[in-house]
Amino acid sequence: MGLSTLSEWTGRIGELVIGASHAEGGTRSHVVRIGGERDLPYIGTHPSGHKPLVAYELADDPSLWPAAATRYIGDWVHDTADWAAYAEKEYTPDLIRLHLTSTRHRGFSDTSRIGTTIESVLQATRLPLIVEGSDDPAMDSAVYQKIGEAAEGERILLGTAEAGRYRSVAAAAMAYGHSVIAQSPIDINLAKQLNILLRETGLPSDRIAIDPYTGALGYGFEYSYSVMERIRYSALKGDTDLAMPMISSATDSLTVKEVREAQGSEAEKTAVAWELYSMLPATIAGASIVCVRHPLSIAGLKSAIDSLWNGENVEGV
Amino acid sequence: MTLKPLEIYKLLPKKNCKECGDPTCLTFAMKLSGGKAKPEACPYLDENAKTILGASTRPPVRKIRIGVGERAITIGEELVQFRHEKSFFHEPGIFIAVNDTMTAEAIQERVIFVRDGILTRVGTDLRLSGIGIRSLAGSPEPFARAVGAVESVADLPEVLMAGDPAVMEAGLFVCGNYRPLIHAASPSQYREMCRLAKKYGCPLALKADTLDSLAELSGHCTAEGVENLVLDLSSPSLHAMLNASTAVRQHAISRTTPALGYPVCIDTSRGGHADASLITGVTKFGSVLVCDDLPEASRKAVLVLRQNIYTDPQKPIQITPGLYRVGTPGRDAPVLLTVNFSLTFFTLQGYLEASRVPCFMLIVDTEGLSVLTAVASGKLHEALVRDAIAKYGLAGEVSHRTLIIPGYAAPLSGRIEEAIGWKVLVGPRDAADIAEFLEKEWKT
Ligand code: B12
Ligand code: SF4
Repeated sequence: MGLSTLSEWTGRIGELVIGASHAEGGTRSHVVRIGGERDLPYIGTHPSGHKPLVAYELADDPSLWPAAATRYIGDWVHDTADWAAYAEKEYTPDLIRLHLTSTRHRGFSDTSRIGTTIESVLQATRLPLIVEGSDDPAMDSAVYQKIGEAAEGERILLGTAEAGRYRSVAAAAMAYGHSVIAQSPIDINLAKQLNILLRETGLPSDRIAIDPYTGALGYGFEYSYSVMERIRYSALKGDTDLAMPMISSATDSLTVKEVREAQGSEAEKTAVAWELYSMLPATIAGASIVCVRHPLSIAGLKSAIDSLWNGENVEGV
Repeated sequence: MTLKPLEIYKLLPKKNCKECGDPTCLTFAMKLSGGKAKPEACPYLDENAKTILGASTRPPVRKIRIGVGERAITIGEELVQFRHEKSFFHEPGIFIAVNDTMTAEAIQERVIFVRDGILTRVGTDLRLSGIGIRSLAGSPEPFARAVGAVESVADLPEVLMAGDPAVMEAGLFVCGNYRPLIHAASPSQYREMCRLAKKYGCPLALKADTLDSLAELSGHCTAEGVENLVLDLSSPSLHAMLNASTAVRQHAISRTTPALGYPVCIDTSRGGHADASLITGVTKFGSVLVCDDLPEASRKAVLVLRQNIYTDPQKPIQITPGLYRVGTPGRDAPVLLTVNFSLTFFTLQGYLEASRVPCFMLIVDTEGLSVLTAVASGKLHEALVRDAIAKYGLAGEVSHRTLIIPGYAAPLSGRIEEAIGWKVLVGPRDAADIAEFLEKEWKT
């Protein structure tokens, strides 16, 4: 008989490239591809498309970063470039996601500082970069212009576009050859709408990653999990407006009650468990990039993804 | 795939003889379609109708019970591939394993942990489900002793894990009346295992190398008269496990291969990825998950993940509307309005407790919708607030007349103020800012 999974999909997830090698005009020694799947995540003797990746998130202003993440890293947090280089060497994530938390301060205006930060991070690490800019329409234009320019040629993934504020992000991405994260609040129709809006600005589909927004485990994660499954399902059924790879971040995991209230070394373990128990399911639901903030979450996630991907049984988790 | 009443009607003899207990074949068809009658009630069905109706009125994944009494669990009876299509119904049992080389004390310690451990979240008690007992020594006496040690401290559902029927029988001799899952029959010894399953009336797990041999084995076992089966899909490779469990669910739901229409069992200790196999099992169709000792952090995370995945997407967890107290509020304490979605309630309550300001929470019935969703859908409105204030006697509890409403309900502030005749204060949007808000803004 040869019983196996039943696949009758017609659609395919688009491919997105992050990072540019020397030959392509960038400086990355490591370029990543996501998407390309023709079936449910990890399904098939040789799964189609590209393996899900793990991004490590850090911030240029660590005072606006969860203590559970900075405590473990220690002094490295005071220099963003050093932090990135150290994380790459010690914890080997697939990508670095830099949050420009400095822009979250009221009255922020020092955009030149952003440029310097990005340049120094690009020098410090060979990994492809995801950069998160401001979230205030009043400064978006200046901030994204600066990020786009500082990372020109490096094909970064630029975040975050939302329905109410996507033009500055899209403009910077188009002017300097980057891709865009499109975030909508856990709603498949809104995700689709935003993709259409972005395409209307001239941004091609293969430069969009969907972020359906991820509620923390125990705090709405089930909605995020299902919306990711629905997006993937619709794309495989042939809806090309949803056929972009997805990115999911365990954003609020390190501040949930369970982590805050755990004592001593248990706090560390709970933080890592919360990131693993939300981000691995996110890949199972269809996310191509999952993002964590605790460095110790990276190895466990990567080896679990390897085993789900090709059955490699690496001792780990 | 349940058949519609008219499709079923076409298969019936149309004699309207009432022998099934129904006045007409059509009303019988309607009952069959709703699962409220069994096809056997009609004595005149032809073979073709029997096969079709037998298969389509049975749930595509068989329902199985493990254990007896209060902690017994039900698994299977699932209808969909994705939870958003309807819901997942019976959450997987998570079993902590002990083995027969451990001392009785060590076994009892683990069992008591499973018996007594409770994680309370959004008003629900989350617990591990039962105990797996592994035969490592390979002979009957130590196995029986280990089962005895488990039984001496708890009435929990059990999975008896021994490949040798003689060893299994020794375990069943101790606990066979409490409906443990027999784990596992294989192509080489299934007859003996079937005999034991029948003798003790227990569900039986099956193990084979491929899905084809598993389907064949389940056919042999049903032919032996054992129908309460569970398919073991454990594998050192998460890839193999996920693909197998997905295939089993697809074949079951589509009724392509009824021989695979049974719940799935996974022994998560089979690879180097205990956490990851638990996660895969919970999200993708595992019903019995056996793991070795589980660290505290993983235990919490897996219980919460299981709760999330098995929450009905159409029916969020709700709490009873009413007037709730945080600390011991006095007559001048603030009153905060919120909705009866448990996630909202418990999030807000957590921050209020942290703020150390004793207060009242006025919970109105939005049918389990969050603040923003309730505002958007019109489920939160001024009449609801007015009636709740009257119903819970709020005016008699406090000396002031001020109500704090959620920041997201700001558009309703004017209308609420008018309807209740109290002063309305618009609070912050994010509950995390509530302590600061109360400190600055709360004056009676
Ligand atoms: C999950 C969800 C649903 C679920 C429902 C889940 C539920 N139980 O409510 C479903 C899928 C059913 C749903 C349906 C709808 N939804 Co909806 N949904 C969401 C989603 C993704 C998350 C909501 C949530 O769980 N929040 C978490 C809880 C804890 O938040 P909360 O209750 O607001 O509580 C917080 C604060 O308000 C505050 N707080 C609470 N109480 C109090 C009290 C005081 C005094 C204070 C100071 C603070 C405070 O503390 C909490 C933590 O900070 C949001 C988008 C988003 N990311 O917010 C959309 C969202 C709320 N939904 C929306 C809409 C429009 C709808 C629908 C009307 C239409 C639709 N899109 O399908 C329907 C209506 C439902 C119906 N039955 O008619 C819109 C609302 C738009 C708007 N701004 O008005 C949103 C924002 C999405 C969007 N489209 O942008 N939704
Ligand atoms: S027993 Fe059969 S034939 Fe008679 S009324 Fe019922 S369904 Fe019809």
